[in-house]
Amino acid sequence: MEHHLAVASVPIQPWGQIYDSQTALKRGTIFQDLDMPFYAADDGGAAGCCLGVSGGSDPQQQERERLMLDISQVCFTVDDLRLYLDTHPQDVQALGMLKDHLAQRRQLLAEFAQRFYPLTMDCMAECGQREPGACYCWQEGPMPWEGACV
Amino acid sequence: MWTYEKRLQFPVKITKTCPKTAQLIISQYGGPDGELSASMRYLSQRYTMPVKAVGGLLTDIGTEELAHMEIICAMVYQLTKDLTIEEAKTAGFDAYYIDHTSGLWPQAAAGVPFTALEFQSKGDALADLTEDLAAEQKARTVYDNLLRMITDPEVREPLRFLRAREIVHFQRFGEALEKTKERLDQKDYYFYNPEFDKQMTPRV
Repeated sequence: MEHHLAVASVPIQPWGQIYDSQTALKRGTIFQDLDMPFYAADDGGAAGCCLGVSGGSDPQQQERERLMLDISQVCFTVDDLRLYLDTHPQDVQALGMLKDHLAQRRQLLAEFAQRFYPLTMDCMAECGQREPGACYCWQEGPMPWEGACV
Repeated sequence: MWTYEKRLQFPVKITKTCPKTAQLIISQYGGPDGELSASMRYLSQRYTMPVKAVGGLLTDIGTEELAHMEIICAMVYQLTKDLTIEEAKTAGFDAYYIDHTSGLWPQAAAGVPFTALEFQSKGDALADLTEDLAAEQKARTVYDNLLRMITDPEVREPLRFLRAREIVHFQRFGEALEKTKERLDQKDYYFYNPEFDKQMTPRV
């Protein structure tokens, strides 16, 4: 890149090492090259109190939390890839990975709606399959700020 | 058009009431470098961007910032939902309590209300994108400062996640700035304003 006076420059990020979805959510990015922790907050990724399954002894609750965690992980990879592709639209590797994760996302959201409650309005279609003729279920389940599945 | 997804981008499960922590964190809701300010900045600037992909990036980052606002609000909510009047009195939350009880209201840590004066939409791509780079840095500093002060791991984890996002967004805005520069006069980036002097700007 040619440098110019009196204007900011940031190098274009090359595709590099990519974290798996679990690690990515924990680190806040899928890109190892952009993982730049703060010394006063870096515990080497040991913490994970928010990214575990508590659920107590209720197997139904545990299942729900596990599935919700899968959704958070897969969807976060989609979020980070989308921003990367916004500035790297020609990157076929990233595009392939995006499509793969979008398919997983669709399937996980449908499963969550079938077994528990819908997370998106589109998932209402899935709920109907569970109990034909069932009533409107968009307001089912805890609100996200209540602690997701708690 | 937006649609709502009934989940947080990063889970928040805070079990200990702490109005003092809530009062600090609320700055990332309605403070000068908060998530509300961030989303309104990007979602306002996008309309007149000369490079279509940059308008798209501002939409996507502005949307993610709304999700971050929801994470911060969830944290404030969980830190104060079981608040007793004694806790409200002693923890420095008393002034907020008088006006808002434990309702959510966008303000800075020091009590200054949210205002659109915290951000700009200048109608000049280089000015706006340079502001966006600075905005991500300032938000990162706030998260650094919060992480120095707060010890509860249930609070630190989402804060660390949000801090990491500022760095990713900085990189993307830097790339957006490079894309915008490609369309300008390399000998004088300031020869014209690509958002206003459209006759001089190659359309893409």
